Amino acid sequence: MALTTAPDPTRRGTGSVRPDANRRGTGRIRHGEGLAGYVFLSPWLIGLMGITALPMLLSLYLSFTDYDILTPLSEVEWVGLANYERMFTGDPSWWHSVRVTLSFALIAVPLKLAAALGVALLLNRAWRGVGLFRGLFYLPSLLGGSVALAIVWVNMFNREGAFNSFLALFGIQGKPWVNDPDWALETLMVLAIWQFGAPMVIFLAGLKQVPTELYEAASVDGAGRFRQFVNVTLPMLSPVIFFNLVLETINGFQGFTAAFVLSNGTGGPVDSTLMYTLNLYITGFTDLEMGYASAMAWVFLIAIAIITVVFFSTGRFWVHYSDGEDR
Amino acid sequence: MHPATHPTASASDGRTYRTLLPRRRLLRGLLAAVVALPLVGAAAACGDDAASDGKTKISIFWWGGDARAQLTEQALDLYTQKNPDVVFEKVWQANQGYFDKLATLTAGGNPPDIFQIDDNFLAEYAARNATLDLAPYQDSGALDTSKFPPSLLQYGVVDGKLAGVAAGENTQGLVYNKTLLTKNGLPEPTTGMSWEEHIAWAEQVSEKTGVPGTQDPSADYKALWVWLRQQGKDLYAGTELGFTVEDVTRWFELWKGARDRGATPTPDVIHEGNATDITKQLVVTGKSATSWVWVNQMPELKKNTSDELGVIAYPGDPSGQWARASMYWSVFRGSKNADIAVDVINFLANDPDAVKLLGTDRGLPSNLDLRRVISDDTTDEAMKQSIAVETELAKTFGEAPQVPIKGHSKVRAELTKAAENAQYGRATPAEAAAQFVEACKAAIAS
Amino acid sequence: MVAGTVAPPGATRPQRPRSRSWLRLVVLLAIVAVVLYPLFWMIGTSVKSQEEIVNNIGLLPRDFTPGNYLDGWTNFDVSFARFFLNSALVSLLTVVGNAVSCLLAAYAFARLRFRLRGLWFAVMIGTLLLPGHVLIVPQYILFRTLGLVGGEWPYLPLLIPQFLATEAFFVFLMVQFMRGIPRELDEAARIDGANAFGIFRHVILPLSRPALVTTAIFSFIWTWNDFFRQLVFLSDLSDYTVPVALTLFIDSTSQSAVGPMFAMAVLSLLPVFGFFVAFQRMLVEGINTSGLKG
Repeated sequence: MALTTAPDPTRRGTGSVRPDANRRGTGRIRHGEGLAGYVFLSPWLIGLMGITALPMLLSLYLSFTDYDILTPLSEVEWVGLANYERMFTGDPSWWHSVRVTLSFALIAVPLKLAAALGVALLLNRAWRGVGLFRGLFYLPSLLGGSVALAIVWVNMFNREGAFNSFLALFGIQGKPWVNDPDWALETLMVLAIWQFGAPMVIFLAGLKQVPTELYEAASVDGAGRFRQFVNVTLPMLSPVIFFNLVLETINGFQGFTAAFVLSNGTGGPVDSTLMYTLNLYITGFTDLEMGYASAMAWVFLIAIAIITVVFFSTGRFWVHYSDGEDR
Repeated sequence: MHPATHPTASASDGRTYRTLLPRRRLLRGLLAAVVALPLVGAAAACGDDAASDGKTKISIFWWGGDARAQLTEQALDLYTQKNPDVVFEKVWQANQGYFDKLATLTAGGNPPDIFQIDDNFLAEYAARNATLDLAPYQDSGALDTSKFPPSLLQYGVVDGKLAGVAAGENTQGLVYNKTLLTKNGLPEPTTGMSWEEHIAWAEQVSEKTGVPGTQDPSADYKALWVWLRQQGKDLYAGTELGFTVEDVTRWFELWKGARDRGATPTPDVIHEGNATDITKQLVVTGKSATSWVWVNQMPELKKNTSDELGVIAYPGDPSGQWARASMYWSVFRGSKNADIAVDVINFLANDPDAVKLLGTDRGLPSNLDLRRVISDDTTDEAMKQSIAVETELAKTFGEAPQVPIKGHSKVRAELTKAAENAQYGRATPAEAAAQFVEACKAAIAS
Repeated sequence: MVAGTVAPPGATRPQRPRSRSWLRLVVLLAIVAVVLYPLFWMIGTSVKSQEEIVNNIGLLPRDFTPGNYLDGWTNFDVSFARFFLNSALVSLLTVVGNAVSCLLAAYAFARLRFRLRGLWFAVMIGTLLLPGHVLIVPQYILFRTLGLVGGEWPYLPLLIPQFLATEAFFVFLMVQFMRGIPRELDEAARIDGANAFGIFRHVILPLSRPALVTTAIFSFIWTWNDFFRQLVFLSDLSDYTVPVALTLFIDSTSQSAVGPMFAMAVLSLLPVFGFFVAFQRMLVEGINTSGLKG
């Protein structure tokens, strides 16, 4: 599929600077490196062949069947493209879940990344107690999708919740956010943003990898802090920003846990939090239409793959790699 | 090779169909090979049912809390005491994820010999031949159901086959906050009040106490079901729906009227109460004076409030209610030890000591003789009350309806969606009803 | 504000007027207070009585009930300590598996040239994209076929994939980090006679610490919190892990031990919090590559 045309990771960013680096880069395989490549890759390849690929292929096959989990695989009926047809033409709740997921991802992902980067910058410097603060900011993410989290969040954002008590201090009358079909998805977004710990840690680790001498050099050149940020930090951090952007987008679209936990697995009130993967889960496990759910999953894969390819192709214009390919 | 690299999948637009169709056979052949591998292995891996010391190992899987786990484990240990050749592999967990795991185990060719199931899923499993027909065992006497209420037994029959044996009996119960009513000098509701009387009573409660009188149960399938039966209808009739758009419209309008009169909480609070969790029932969270539950949930509800609670039948003619199997024991159809599995189920239902151990945790004992013994002997107040209330309600029980059909869980979800649409004012009762019935037809069509 | 916070990492402690340090501290504390309020509420709830949990949504309990902790710890036939040990075992082994196997794969993708590399990389990203719920049943069938389910050691189906770099997230993460390591270092090592293995050992491995630490942190925490796979593959109470055990407190239709559940949920945060604080220390010092450049 389209992914095969994804740019070779080593080629990204080369064209704009020195086109011939590209040709040189892929054309020449150093003596013994090909073998070494496969040696290093072997655990992953074994995992792919032995563990990852078969279930994926099986789910692809099942997407063309009426598989219902309980019927033995040998008895499933081949239904051709019926599942795919139903999705696009006969299932309003599928379209609904697409809309819900899009609006969730488009808002929550950028905000979460911004929060993560902002706090990572605040916590980047070495000062006493910084570790504790990093831990504290990571704490919300530690909760994952536990049962406790569901109870906590509902009690923050229902009619008598803490958030409304806070608003009341300013004389604002709040809504029953989490129980209001017009606001439940927003509550979900707040939850997703609140758990910004993962991208924050990745940003922090990325900031740690910026060679200090670059700042020293910039400082010698008389660059102020802002110039240093724009000229040193941002470019050096761009591979990590790119990573977070790609992965958080994938996560955002796959966002299941929060919706599952907050809505008791229903996607309610009135389907307002029926995220794509939640709909898929309900279809597969509650309605026992795993064949149809598999079809949903593969359509999802193709859609996200397209988005990912777009990211990778724009990446060559703004992601800066220090591995010599773009110098 | 990764499936994503398959060239036929490269077109993401409408042309995908055309490019895929001619290659269907190829794709199918390829994937059939993938499918075949697990099957071979699954067949090979099935020989582990006999424990190494010559004893037979019966796997049993149920959901519930740890209280239930302890009681069940004791009862099963008792079976092993009496039948030293049989040992158990006991697996239990809370209901979160239970059916996901049960389905996955079944798919993997590794289902438990005995599993607990409820009426939401019984037909789903029975219709797909996952459950063993227990009727022959009934005939041979291996499974003794002679002391069961006939309608309770009947409620385990799917397509003429006995798919599950009731592990306990319960019925719908309307729970109300006694303390709140007494404090405000309000009358307690009684069994037999009409729906209109119930709503009028609730309106009065709202006015006097400031606490909404009743939870709006329009999203609750079990309330709708009782109401339909009282109208001479049913939830299902054969493989069809047992009601029309007009019926549901009237049901939604009934509760729209109640909401307009202030007899119920606001929609967001109703939504909270629509969750089936005990801790979210409005009668214990203090957000309404009544909740629509199952009678056997009373003891657990009481743990969540300091107020005194009372319980009656749902409004209307109480013969709309029936002896419902709160949950069943079923035997997996492919079980190698089906005879022993059936004997275990028989033991759990009919052995006096086992039934005494299990008490009313899964509902009232199905065996009527033993139910009487338990109710005489028990010193547990909550259990005593629960038995007393249900015995009282049982006097007016009507015939059991048919077990909900395949697609029922979707029907339940659609009812909640439609009712909430009406509650939040996003649809009129008629629109919501039409939407619901259409969705139901699609859900049960397959 | 942003510009003011990007001083060189690893530089000596800033010589700033005290007032600005204080200001920063106040700002941070304010953010922390808001961010952590739900967690304070959780701790408060863990010492409420059952009746209060349902009725009192305030932060503090009226009736202080620390007994929830003891109740939760001893609630099951198996002590909760056992669940902690099981979770720790699975999580730590996952950390090791992911760190080793993903690092090897990432090095191949980031630095070595071999046939079909672009294809494999695309495949690797592709494995990230399929929603996991449709994979559970096929995976279960596969692992059962391989005879890994319910064996002597029930954690094999959870751990074997981790030793085979199936978590593409970490492979991709490490690739991105490695690509931030200047290639001149490789070239220098190569001139000194190092081959691909030598470069891995002497250049990439030491410089991959931030990526390894990040991988360790996430592997540990995500495994600690993972529910669905552990639920499906573990069937014996004494094998259960913390997330599975936590769900045992509440059976929404028949049991509602919310207080003990909250108490154990609070306790279950401590190991992950400790793991995080311990490991993030390794992120504190910046990497100075100038020495290596020579």
